[in-house]
Amino acid sequence: MHPTADLRGPFEDHALLWGLVFVVGILSVLPLARLVLEAVAPGGEWSAQALTRVLSSSTTWTATGHSLVTALGGTLLAVAIGAVVALIVSLTDIRGRNAFVFCFVLPMMIAPQVLALAWLQLFGPSSPLLPMIGVAPSPGKNPLYSPEGIILVLGIQYAPLVFLTLRAGLRALPRELIEAGLAGGAGPLTVLRTVVLPLMTPPLVAGVALSFVSCLGNFGIAALLGIPANYLVLPTLIYQRLAGLGPGVLSEVSVLSTLIGFIAVTGLLLQDLMLRRRDFRISTASCVARPFELRRWRLPVEAALWTFSILVLTLPLIALVLASLVPAVGVPLTVKTATLGNYDFVLFGHDAAKRALINSFTLSTIAAIVIVLIAVPLAYFLVWRRSRPLTMISLLIEMPYALPGVVLAIAAILLFLKPLPLVGLSLYNTVWIILFCYLARFLVLGLRPVISAYYQIDRTLEEASQIAGARLLRRLRTIILPLVAPAASAGALLIFLMAFNELTVSALLWSSGAETLGVILFSFQQGGDSTYAAALGALTVFVTTALMLLTLFMAAKLPPGVLPWRD
Amino acid sequence: MARLTIDRVNKWFGAFRALDNVSVEVANGEFMAILGPSGCGKTTLLRQIAGFDKVDSGRIAIGDTVVSTVQLHIPPERRHIGIVFQSYALWPHMTVAENVAYGLAVAGIKNPERSRRVAAALTLVELDGFAERRPALLSGGQRQRVALARCLVTEPSLVLLDEPLANLDVHLRASMEDEFARFHARTGTTMIYITHDQAEAMALADRIAVMDKGRLLQVATPSQLYREPADQTVAEFIGEGMVLPVEVRSVDGAGTCHVDLYGHRVRMRCAVSQKPTPAARACLRSRDLRIVLPAASGMGARIDHAIYQGGHFRLEARVDAAPEMLVHLAVPEPFLLAPGAAIKLDVADGWVIPAVAEH
Amino acid sequence: MNIALRHSFFLIAGLVAGIAAGPAAAQAPAGKLVLYTSQPERDAAQTVSAFRKVYPGVDVDVFRSGTTEVMGKLAAEFAGGQARADVLLLADAATMESLKRAGRLLPYPDAKLAGLEPGSYDVDKTYFGSKLITTGIAVNTSVKARPASFADLAKPEYKAQMTMPSPLYSGAAAIMLGTMTTRADLGWGYFEKLKAADAIAVRGNGAVLAAVANGEKSYGILVDFMAFNAKAKGSPIFPAEGSPAVTEPVAILKTTQNAAAARAFVDFILSDEGQKLAVSMGYIPAKAAVGMPSWLPAGTKIVVMPTDISRVAEANSANLKRFAEIFGN
Repeated sequence: MHPTADLRGPFEDHALLWGLVFVVGILSVLPLARLVLEAVAPGGEWSAQALTRVLSSSTTWTATGHSLVTALGGTLLAVAIGAVVALIVSLTDIRGRNAFVFCFVLPMMIAPQVLALAWLQLFGPSSPLLPMIGVAPSPGKNPLYSPEGIILVLGIQYAPLVFLTLRAGLRALPRELIEAGLAGGAGPLTVLRTVVLPLMTPPLVAGVALSFVSCLGNFGIAALLGIPANYLVLPTLIYQRLAGLGPGVLSEVSVLSTLIGFIAVTGLLLQDLMLRRRDFRISTASCVARPFELRRWRLPVEAALWTFSILVLTLPLIALVLASLVPAVGVPLTVKTATLGNYDFVLFGHDAAKRALINSFTLSTIAAIVIVLIAVPLAYFLVWRRSRPLTMISLLIEMPYALPGVVLAIAAILLFLKPLPLVGLSLYNTVWIILFCYLARFLVLGLRPVISAYYQIDRTLEEASQIAGARLLRRLRTIILPLVAPAASAGALLIFLMAFNELTVSALLWSSGAETLGVILFSFQQGGDSTYAAALGALTVFVTTALMLLTLFMAAKLPPGVLPWRD
Repeated sequence: MARLTIDRVNKWFGAFRALDNVSVEVANGEFMAILGPSGCGKTTLLRQIAGFDKVDSGRIAIGDTVVSTVQLHIPPERRHIGIVFQSYALWPHMTVAENVAYGLAVAGIKNPERSRRVAAALTLVELDGFAERRPALLSGGQRQRVALARCLVTEPSLVLLDEPLANLDVHLRASMEDEFARFHARTGTTMIYITHDQAEAMALADRIAVMDKGRLLQVATPSQLYREPADQTVAEFIGEGMVLPVEVRSVDGAGTCHVDLYGHRVRMRCAVSQKPTPAARACLRSRDLRIVLPAASGMGARIDHAIYQGGHFRLEARVDAAPEMLVHLAVPEPFLLAPGAAIKLDVADGWVIPAVAEH
Repeated sequence: MNIALRHSFFLIAGLVAGIAAGPAAAQAPAGKLVLYTSQPERDAAQTVSAFRKVYPGVDVDVFRSGTTEVMGKLAAEFAGGQARADVLLLADAATMESLKRAGRLLPYPDAKLAGLEPGSYDVDKTYFGSKLITTGIAVNTSVKARPASFADLAKPEYKAQMTMPSPLYSGAAAIMLGTMTTRADLGWGYFEKLKAADAIAVRGNGAVLAAVANGEKSYGILVDFMAFNAKAKGSPIFPAEGSPAVTEPVAILKTTQNAAAARAFVDFILSDEGQKLAVSMGYIPAKAAVGMPSWLPAGTKIVVMPTDISRVAEANSANLKRFAEIFGN
């Protein structure tokens, strides 16, 4: 057989590349562009008024400083917790590993505002916990109403994010690299420091970047804990401006949003810088590392992990369930007062709640799958082909995630209010505009872990399949996708959980029939029906847990490492 | 089957010139080794041939088809060649059979033809019964053979081997060398073998191309390379040649000349066009040197150290006339002189390196 | 009959028929009506279904969210050039004022305002209060001390136990701020004292309710109906100075696609039926004559702090800024 000058190959490559540019452009660039337009040309007329007003106000810069502090602090804590737990779970011989992973990921199934509320109650005057451990609850200011409180809850909220990314990366760590270190005379901790962690830089950096942007753009926790403490961050400042009802509100909000965007992009550039110069490829195909034996440390470590899990993660869930069993807020829970009436109402008395459960589940699943399908080829072109137009555009992928949800929703409304130009379809007030926002917002969650996976793969594996005659799409499907599967599924899981509980975006975009879980929860809470909110929240956790247990049955068919709670 | 033409190929990485006007013609069915130290550009050249990188100037053609020029670049998947990678690049998520069958699956060949050919390939590399294993559970030599089977099952016109034996132990290397040789004899595939190990190259190749710093220094048969290196680098690289300064006194115009080596008169081989010159360099092999009695004519030298190599010693000595020059030769066991002892060395033969490299 | 007489007969017959048919045609508004509201979910649902019983030909699409979210959505729709809402039912008049000033509201001069207090609707008839939602003091039942007035809350014995909704995030609280700061007996000094007494301002009345009901804080300034609907402890105190009130006004947008149905909706809200519905949902109605909700002890006199809504709206951004300075943003 002779070499053939085949035009189909290059065509496929170019088509895929430009298709990706188009998709990313629509999802990431368009909303931001529309916002920037609104910032400098509100109502179609150029004006620098909003820009000068916002940038010259000291509140803006105070809030920016606070945002940086909480974002960095939250990230540090999230990385510390997430990384330590990932290393212990993946590299040592602790028992009950899978159950623990399950519990660790649990908080992500609870809506962030619900979690923060549960924490508040744990530390507040009516706390059931503090008396148990002998600390008298003080009637004064709740200690969580402070920047430290915000950092604490943010760190715990996003630790699972770092955990999932790192655990997926550790799957690729082959036995011989650790054994080489041990054979060279290094103790386990030294091997950890000098061999494992440097090799795990890509997934670590991905986790850091993701948690930084998450902390930066988080609204719910900053609002709940920061507002009473008068500690303003950029997302709450934006919300304040919106509530203030002045004229030119939208353009001010757009300017502030662009500011958040700048900070997010800087973090992103730093990440790229850190990864570019070094080689993290692991080119052996050997077995997964055999666990370190902890010996006499095993029991204390297990105890510490489970205590942490119960204290920090399970207790809020229990508080949630308890709150869902009382007939009304403030009524103490006794055998006599306990009732399932709240669940009854939510499941059978409130059509919207059921619809919302189905809508949220469907939208989250579609978003997770579609985003992963975009992320794998996108990361290919970003990491291995280094295509210039795509790299520039991809800086903006962080934006829709960093912006407060309300701002993204506003951008979507501005874009889709009128029917689409050629097709004549209107997405407005349908589930599809919500799906658009989910795709735009959570793309980064799928992309970052997959990018880190590419850094760990030896490219000769792809080259070998090229030589065997496979064109790009086939290579992506048969060779690359299985290799990045653990990272891709970590991303998909993150996307599913975040989209499932998402509130701030759908609060502006929902309509009758297109409700989401977050919206229903929000309206229960705002209407003073926190018992219904608790019941719905608990139901969400039960449903998600059941789904995750179901995946265990499918586990045999999936490539190894795809499910984080299964070895 | 195809021949390979590389015509004045250049490749820069930024300011670094990785390939410098490389031209070579590999005949149909030839086994050519590309030999050179690390960083000489042989892997870069392989990647150009395979199509993983684009040339900055020049032309590469496989058979009659031009595959790489500055304007035209046929991607690797369309070149119908085979590669055995240094790291084997076996796909960890597939079994051995799936690895080998991949190329056939891509070409649309279905069962039972596909499994027949896979089984045949595995038999060829003596891995019957390993079809359902995973690469992670194979030894280095077994992975090597799977990589070879995978490369061959699609019957490519040209096979590139990138330091395939580098990771194997001595015994395995020997048997794999036999394997390659037999395979080449049997199928007559054009093979390009990248290596830094000259023993392998010498044993297997029809011709060897020596590269250093991006340039092709000499392309010749192993014997020619050994006996008549084209320049100092080749001389030193092949067979641990020792390059010493000589003065060419007379030539006979038929490939023999007389030279003066540190005052010692030696009859050496040279190029037919060699002229007498005061400043030339000669390449000596260790078999050209032997110890003679102090009274005989020869070069004076002092023993530096002797290394036992199983049945003989490798002796390293410093020439009295030029103490910075370290020469080596083999002496049979037993050898009783100690370092520092004075000896006399006789030079039986040598090759005068031509002033301008010709190939 | 001569021709002229026949013509005038038909003319008069036609006029009479027209006049008879006129009101009948006006009584059957139909089509779609889009309502944006910040009422609680259940109240919105009940209002809409009661409205549809009276006007079955109208299909109502409801968008319900927090005031800020509703306003954000509206702002985006205005900027995008295609507002979708026909009628708005929002929490407070300050929000409506800002819409009115931006020229977004459609006046309804023929609205039937009999029985409504003059202060509860806009002088230019662009928005109309539907209820009287007063702000009172909620107390957790486990505490003994009960303040009798707003001023009491600033006293040292209540230090660090008070919570209030932040005007920066709540329109009702913004009205409360605007109203109280113009009073001689409260003024800005009152808020400075509250800050010195470690009062905290939280986001919205829902948070205040949760805090007081859970016992996290013992006292809260709260929009009172919530406390009762929750069937929890915490009975409101009507402070001595009177209560700032919000009226949950309804208004028609200028860009409405169905003016007839929109007017019908306003009519319904202001009608006896609509007002009785408000009572049954537990609110004090705007039309006092239809009765009082059951939880209000008979004979209670509600003293409302008078609010000059237009002044409040004008001073709003300055007020918010000053509040932010005091409470330290």
